[in-house]
Amino acid sequence: MAELDRLIHEPARLRILTILAGVEAADFNFLLNTLGLTKGNLSSHIDRLEKAGYVKVEKSFNGRVPHTEFQITPEGREALEEYWRQLDSIRNLGSKAEEKE
Amino acid sequence: MASRKSTQSADPREIIQWTRRYAQSRTIYFLIQWCLIVFVICIIGLVASLTQQAYTAGNKSLFYTSVVFLSITFFFFIWISVSRWTAEVVWQITLWFYGREGFVSPEENTRSKQLPRWVIALIGLMLVYHIFGAILISFRYLHLQYLQPFSAIILVPVLCVLIYYQGLGFWAWLWPVLYGLHAILLLAGIPISFPSPWFLLNIMVPIFGYGLIAILVGHVYSRYALWKLKTVTRQGLEIDNNEEIPEEK
Repeated sequence: MAELDRLIHEPARLRILTILAGVEAADFNFLLNTLGLTKGNLSSHIDRLEKAGYVKVEKSFNGRVPHTEFQITPEGREALEEYWRQLDSIRNLGSKAEEKE
Repeated sequence: MASRKSTQSADPREIIQWTRRYAQSRTIYFLIQWCLIVFVICIIGLVASLTQQAYTAGNKSLFYTSVVFLSITFFFFIWISVSRWTAEVVWQITLWFYGREGFVSPEENTRSKQLPRWVIALIGLMLVYHIFGAILISFRYLHLQYLQPFSAIILVPVLCVLIYYQGLGFWAWLWPVLYGLHAILLLAGIPISFPSPWFLLNIMVPIFGYGLIAILVGHVYSRYALWKLKTVTRQGLEIDNNEEIPEEK
């Protein structure tokens, strides 16, 4: 059995990717407000997801105010689906073992 | 990472579902547009009424002045309906309202990318149909009381098609459903129409009233969806934010 993707397995990153999987795009404030993380913590998680190619970051300006938007990439979506497939199979193995006991 | 407790207890499908529901129910954008359109229509209505009164009273100077003002208001209405400036202003106000919550756009939906030609043709047909209805009324082939049911025959399917192609939330469906029900109740003889001289309200109130109800329902639902989303997302996410995130191996 393949190992779980440790980058996605981290709870905050998993939630960031899951939220982004449900929408076309979300900005920094939305993720901050929904997850309740600090700015530094959220930036750090986003940075890792971006480096892994799972999230696309788009920076722009609303007037003079900087605006950062995030989108899940096809690779990110695929990795997230694979992660849940693997987790489900682990859960199934666990429940089968319980039944045998 | 001492304060990180249970981690993956939230069901991901729930997070995705509530994120989608929230994004689809953010209706402030529609509410601002609604206010703008109703405001301009009220001005047009007032000026039209003034024009009619001036004509009846035989006051030519007031009549010509109000005709000019009516034309200006009408062109202003067309301009705000199509101008990019209006769209930008409405968008900026929307962002201001949602400032603290942040920006989120509903899932990319191929249906909403571009309306098919037959849908655009249907909208054109709807306009022609309503002009035809107005002609029927002016020649007394159709009583004003039946204008709303007459309008519902085409407006309900057109609204349904538009809502489907724009991928809006459940709240949007309330509009055609209530408009259709109103028409059925009128035809069944239920006394829900405005008497003369307020006959025109029989079409205006259902169109804009049910639209407003749908928008407000959507807004209330978006508050609930956001609360649910935060609850589901933060389940098992008890992380000490002051902690440094360790490097993955």
